[in-house]
Amino acid sequence: MRLIDRAHSWLRGILQRSKVQNEMETELQFHVEAHAEELTKGGVPRAEALRRARLEFGGMEGKKEECLEARGASFLDNLMQDLRYGVRTMLRAPGFTAMAVLALALGIGANTAIFSVVNAVLLRPLPYDQPERLVQVWHVPPQATFPGTAEFAVSPANFLDWRSQAHSFEGMSAYGGGRYTLTGNGNPETIRMIAVTDGLFSILHVRPLLGRGFVSGEDEPGHEHEVVLSYGIWRSHFAANPDIVGKNITLNAQAFTVIGVMGPEFDFPISSDPNSRTQMWKPLAWTAQERGIRDNHNYGVVARLKPGVSVKQAQNEMDAISNSLAQQYPNDNKGWGAIAVPLRDDLVGDVRPALLILLGAVVLVLLIACANVANLVLVKALTRRKEQAVRIALGATRRRLLQQALSETVLLAFVGGALGLVFAHYGVILIVKFLAQRLPRSSEITLDGWVLAFTAGISLIAGFAAGLLPAFRAAKADVNEALKQGLGRATSDSGGSRTRDMLVISEVALSLMLLIGAGLLIRSLWMLHKVNPGFQPDHVVTMEISVSNSKFSDPVQQVEYFDRVLERVRTLPGVQSAGLIDSLPLTDDGSIQPILVEGRPPAPMADLPEVDVRSISPGYLSAMHLPLLSGREIDDTDVAGRPGAVLISDSMAKLFWPNEDAIGKRLTLYFYPDQPRVVVGVVGDVKLYAVNETQRKATLYLPLAQLSVPKGEAFHSFGMNLAVRTNMAPLSMAATAGQAIHEVDPEIPVQNIRTMEDMISASLSPERFTMLLLGAFAGLALLLAVVGIYSVTSYSVSRRTNEMGIRVALGASRTDVLMLVFRHGMMLALIGSAIGIAGALLLSRVMRSQLFGVQPTDPATFVTGVCGLMVVVLAASYIPARRAMRVDPMVALRYE
Amino acid sequence: MLILKATSLGPLHGYGILLRIGQISKDRLEIQQGSLYPALYRLEHQGWISSEWGESENKRKAKYYRLTAAGKRRLQSETEKWNRMAEMIAGILQTTPEEV
Repeated sequence: MRLIDRAHSWLRGILQRSKVQNEMETELQFHVEAHAEELTKGGVPRAEALRRARLEFGGMEGKKEECLEARGASFLDNLMQDLRYGVRTMLRAPGFTAMAVLALALGIGANTAIFSVVNAVLLRPLPYDQPERLVQVWHVPPQATFPGTAEFAVSPANFLDWRSQAHSFEGMSAYGGGRYTLTGNGNPETIRMIAVTDGLFSILHVRPLLGRGFVSGEDEPGHEHEVVLSYGIWRSHFAANPDIVGKNITLNAQAFTVIGVMGPEFDFPISSDPNSRTQMWKPLAWTAQERGIRDNHNYGVVARLKPGVSVKQAQNEMDAISNSLAQQYPNDNKGWGAIAVPLRDDLVGDVRPALLILLGAVVLVLLIACANVANLVLVKALTRRKEQAVRIALGATRRRLLQQALSETVLLAFVGGALGLVFAHYGVILIVKFLAQRLPRSSEITLDGWVLAFTAGISLIAGFAAGLLPAFRAAKADVNEALKQGLGRATSDSGGSRTRDMLVISEVALSLMLLIGAGLLIRSLWMLHKVNPGFQPDHVVTMEISVSNSKFSDPVQQVEYFDRVLERVRTLPGVQSAGLIDSLPLTDDGSIQPILVEGRPPAPMADLPEVDVRSISPGYLSAMHLPLLSGREIDDTDVAGRPGAVLISDSMAKLFWPNEDAIGKRLTLYFYPDQPRVVVGVVGDVKLYAVNETQRKATLYLPLAQLSVPKGEAFHSFGMNLAVRTNMAPLSMAATAGQAIHEVDPEIPVQNIRTMEDMISASLSPERFTMLLLGAFAGLALLLAVVGIYSVTSYSVSRRTNEMGIRVALGASRTDVLMLVFRHGMMLALIGSAIGIAGALLLSRVMRSQLFGVQPTDPATFVTGVCGLMVVVLAASYIPARRAMRVDPMVALRYE
Repeated sequence: MLILKATSLGPLHGYGILLRIGQISKDRLEIQQGSLYPALYRLEHQGWISSEWGESENKRKAKYYRLTAAGKRRLQSETEKWNRMAEMIAGILQTTPEEV
């Protein structure tokens, strides 16, 4: 038969359902009557003939159903019918419906929220053309001097060699960030500027909205006074002026020509939140001298693979180039490799484990929700056994019953899914609010089409998962047994209760897994809070004094300016002490430099030890309460022209002079070879980059007043951070301090006003948020499990009421009855816990990277988790158990 | 196959098919009456028979089934298959010990 005819017959079946049914009715009726007539001719009375004809024909309705099915039209038909029926049953049992929908909505909502984060951050391609071909290229530093550091910034000369020698890439561009001061628009303002070599825009395959990007050769010195504006700053600072291209703007007191404006979508490098997007791009114009710098690593490198070239092939080529460069320039490059990382991995690699753990957690929550709903449906199905039996007796097939039972739970799941979307909407807002600064691409998080499809998909799956068990049980029901039993008060129901027990056990196991997972995170957050950052954060406010690169032409001017700032700030009322540092602790910034220690054989730069180097002013130690362990602080005598003085951290002293006194030892910074320095004091170690860093960072503190120009480079002035210890509320101090700084030089912006306590808590915010989310999910899981246990126990109690009555009548004490019920709940909880512990051991292994100061098998957490769960489970079975205990034997026996 | 054969002898309504089968099988075959219709619907859906409404012998509305061209071919191939099968089985059953 031609397909089209078949489709026609099928369509007719659906669209003209009533017509087809009428025809069928007539046809079958005709048959019966024809047969009856035959019989009447044989002498049988008409009424009797009709009866016999019907009997011989068999179940009329069942046959009709079969006929419909034979046409292949029944599935949709039945579905519609089932859905209508489902809606009616849902409305008839509002309590059950509300419970089931709520459980599913929570599960699906949590999944949707987390998936929308995962989708935006991990799955969605980067907003560039063919983003899978974009890679970030980093140096891999020698592991002897940089233990554990896998990626390092790139030096100009190495970048230029990579670019000219590598054939795997269509283009390669270096970039570096900088702060520029924009004036001529009211208050001076700091602009987030990225300097890029000429190929960037063509590598990213982007075209500006207005004007043009940088063309080849524009990164030569002399051409660098050009900028491309971001869409955001074009709108906010230049009134979206369409004639802006070709106009001059003032940055760092110099004229820059606007050559282009980028579109609203464009962002490079991709920022985490809208408030930290790059605002302008300018050419990165290295001088001839700077192009030769191989030992100072300061730039990021992005590249586009040629079509058909894999990351692996590019990596092999980079390895070969690195080897040859290391041989060619052993002094600077020995041990320095290169690594090409897909751009997306580079951006989101850090958050992937935490997100995947959360995704796993919400899947568990959904599983529990499904188990719970399955349980509710099972219990409800028992009261509907008679209905099912009648259906079977009337000729409903098992398949048909299965379909009907499933369509009910799927319907529940879709209603739950719709409500879940509402939950997810608010969940996503919360997540973005808390995580924006720490989560790359967080501004892209939305409930988009993919997320909606995901929600629909998991709703369907959840509906099936919750419905399958009860549906099979319903279809397996024994008709005779069920019909005999009257209104469904069966005394024995062992098969059903076993299924329910299994569901409860899995709920307990799953929620224990989550509880222990959350417990481990809580413990590690607690450990993080107990970590001593090396300074006292209370009553300290910090602010960034944002000096642009070309504000001062030599170190003397810069030192003078900051001296005046400090002098002015120290006279303010409420200031106990004030000091300056170039990069505050617990931030991502900070310089790492090679040093030469006196008395050690000279070595090529690549073999020199590297330490963190910070510039500080007198007063910084006391402002931060950073303890001086031996020697003296840096003071006002450590100025230019005086012998170079440095402070070193305790870990650095132990590393370089393990069994000696470090005070008086001499060293030279590799980039400042003409300035020998003497260690004058040893100070405590500080958490430099993050509270959870496990390695103590060898740190060197230079006096700002002995600032000089690094060898072979021009002087660039730079900003400092002011730290003020006050006896007032720290933030109230900030305004007056900011004003004082403006009085010294109104052109220099003051920004990023934060207390040190805020910085600590900000540095822990991702951990805290992961913990909060996982904790919330664990709580949710526990709640669902409790509901499950409660409903199962109370149901079994109500079914066993007369058994209890008999027991009491026969002399069982109330405690015996209580224990009887209790023991059952206890057993479920114990089995569930055993499985849950095994699961938690697996989970915590995956979580290892997220833990701090606590073992994945931490016994305290496991014991607490299990005990907590037991208590809750016992409480949940206690209420029904008490009810069982109070059973009046007379009432119970009369009940039957 | 029986239905196909029955309808091949001319258009019939459902009850007629039942009678026809009884007639050609000389009442040796009895089909449960109700089961006929799902089979008819299935055959129609597969396109081997077609149906139309007409009047029965006693002036009542009835649905008549007739064999389609595809149904004819089907009947033919089924018949051949059946005959081959029957021959084969008959051959097997007639085998005497001496022939083995």
